Amino acid sequence: MKAAGFGRDAASAVLSLRSFGAAPLGVDRVLVDVGDLDLWPGECVALTGPSGSGKTTFLRTLGGQLPPRAGHMRLAGQELAQAATAQQRTLLRRIALVAQQHDLVEPLPVHANVMAGALGRWSNLHALRYLIRPSAEELADAEAALELVGLAGKLREPTGRLSGGEQQRVAIARALVQAPILLLADEPVASLDPRTANAVLGLITRLARERGMGLICSLHQPRLAERYFDRVLELRDGRLEAAAIGDSRSAAPERA
Amino acid sequence: MRPLELLLDFLPPDLSPAYLLALAPAVLQTIGLAVGAMFLAFCASLPLGVVAALRLPGARALLAALGALRAIPDLTLAVLFVVLLGLGPGAGLFALALYYAAGVAKMFADILRTAPEAPLRALRTAGASRVQVALFGLLPLKRSDLISYASYEFECALRASVVVGAVGGGGLGSELVGSLAALDFHRAATQILVLVLLAAAFDAGATQVRRDPRWLLALMPVGLFAVIAYAPRMFALGHALEVFGQMWPPEIPATAWAKLPRWIWETVWMAAAGTGGAVAVALVAGPASARNLAPAWIAWPVRRLMELLRAVPEVVWGLVLIAVVGVGPVAGAWALGIHSAGCLARLFGDCLENAPVAPQRALASTGASRMSVFAYGAAPLAAGPMAAHALFRFEWNLRMATVLGVIGAGGVGQALYEAQQLFFYRQMLAYIVLTWLIISAVDRAGELVRRRYTLAPALIGADPV
Repeated sequence: MKAAGFGRDAASAVLSLRSFGAAPLGVDRVLVDVGDLDLWPGECVALTGPSGSGKTTFLRTLGGQLPPRAGHMRLAGQELAQAATAQQRTLLRRIALVAQQHDLVEPLPVHANVMAGALGRWSNLHALRYLIRPSAEELADAEAALELVGLAGKLREPTGRLSGGEQQRVAIARALVQAPILLLADEPVASLDPRTANAVLGLITRLARERGMGLICSLHQPRLAERYFDRVLELRDGRLEAAAIGDSRSAAPERA
Repeated sequence: MRPLELLLDFLPPDLSPAYLLALAPAVLQTIGLAVGAMFLAFCASLPLGVVAALRLPGARALLAALGALRAIPDLTLAVLFVVLLGLGPGAGLFALALYYAAGVAKMFADILRTAPEAPLRALRTAGASRVQVALFGLLPLKRSDLISYASYEFECALRASVVVGAVGGGGLGSELVGSLAALDFHRAATQILVLVLLAAAFDAGATQVRRDPRWLLALMPVGLFAVIAYAPRMFALGHALEVFGQMWPPEIPATAWAKLPRWIWETVWMAAAGTGGAVAVALVAGPASARNLAPAWIAWPVRRLMELLRAVPEVVWGLVLIAVVGVGPVAGAWALGIHSAGCLARLFGDCLENAPVAPQRALASTGASRMSVFAYGAAPLAAGPMAAHALFRFEWNLRMATVLGVIGAGGVGQALYEAQQLFFYRQMLAYIVLTWLIISAVDRAGELVRRRYTLAPALIGADPV
């Protein structure tokens, strides 16, 4: 296969995009022109831009919820094609997406929502058995993930009874159980008060750096972006551009 | 009012301890029928509903098949199963199970489809398979809706289990047919009374289940036991298949073709006359039972009387009335009318009570009398929903009219039952297909009318059947 402009460095990057383009479902042309982007282990990138600029479309495309419209994508040095092989599907499971609120299953207890991150590794039978009788080991895993996000002791609480900020942390814990190498967060603090927002951003950037995950997080507040992230990229008029702080993107992206 | 006079022959009911004790096995069998049938129906309909809701391959065909199956009434299915499995509770149980499995699966699919999209998408992104999305997302998200619908259907199943008894499906229904045939009206009255009490007990039980769903688990062993106990002893697949083969191809003899228009007319007339009479009664009884319009000393007794009318299913009223006024569509129209009057009075009363208050208060502040506030405020405000309920009731009664025929009220249903009794299986199948065609056409027409006039569809559970 043609190298498609991946440099020698791209091998060690968590995520490498070349001439990458995204679009919502039902739109045939590229609406979000990402161009080239390399994300290194432990690097935290903030994604800003006005509402409707395509931040969610971009993140959902990276998360596998939308098909890519143009260019190439490499995850941990492996080229990802449209028709994924079994090995690539295993790799895709290591991309975790934390959305805004309301993507947890509220009637389930907290631990079931957390361990839902492991579903990709479990068989259907295993999943059914867990709902009837979770093993002590699995509950310990869930508790460990909850401890990391500062929610120790909430294991058996009904998820619907938690506050907005707590639910956001449960979603992060679920993403951690997925053991991701790339963590995507779509406006994770949009509906949180400033104090909780700071705590959540501090948490995910710290976890990303500690565990060497790449992090792309969309945000509305430039001040928070500069405070917690290594790089800030802005989506403007359908193109991804550097907004502040040293940008390592190649200046002249190749067009497909 | 000769029929009403004859109804007095049913009083007093036979309440001797000896007879009540003798009735116990039939009561237990009826309960077993309902619980067993619902056990099978829920076991089948939950996975079917999930398959349909997740749009797995074949979901569209499955939904179409379920909808088509639902258009064959429970009693009609029971007539078929009595032929296939022999007389007794087994036939009733499997007929009910099939009817409810189809209906509940379709409803479960509709409920599951209203689940919020975001959590399901998140699970898919985390790498969950479709089955895992159902286990960790769909089912827990819609758990309480599923349970409250299931417990509502459970009450319906009890009344239906009496109904299928009427064609030889066992239980209280078979007893009732026997008592009426023997002109033993006092005991028939006892059986109806027991049925009403049993329905009230089930109603209370359903409320309990809604509050604590674990009670549903307690019913599972009872259901399993009933299924095993009532499974036909001598069932032979070969025999059933052979009988089924004899039904093929369906045919309507030349002599019957001439009667066909009359049968269809009788069925439609029964439904129209019954619904019309019920609307007339409900237009008086509805306002009289609305607590914001009528004084309590009128509203309370009217409410209780209407409850009594609707507590007895149409088919049971039909059995009673056929016994007193004789075979034919007149008895059928009365049966539909009496039960529907009870239902519609309740619904009309609710509509009037729930009419927006502000416009009525504005009218009253102009010094208008209570009567004018009703005529210019509550009545026109409630007219739309009341019309929707009346239309739904007419649709329902057309369906029930085909069923009432089976117990002797004329029309297509009677032709079906006579064909079964005479072992004309090919004709029997033809009349089942005809019943299916009529009901499917009525369902479709009702849907079109509702869409044309944007009448709110009657809510499941809000409409007492």
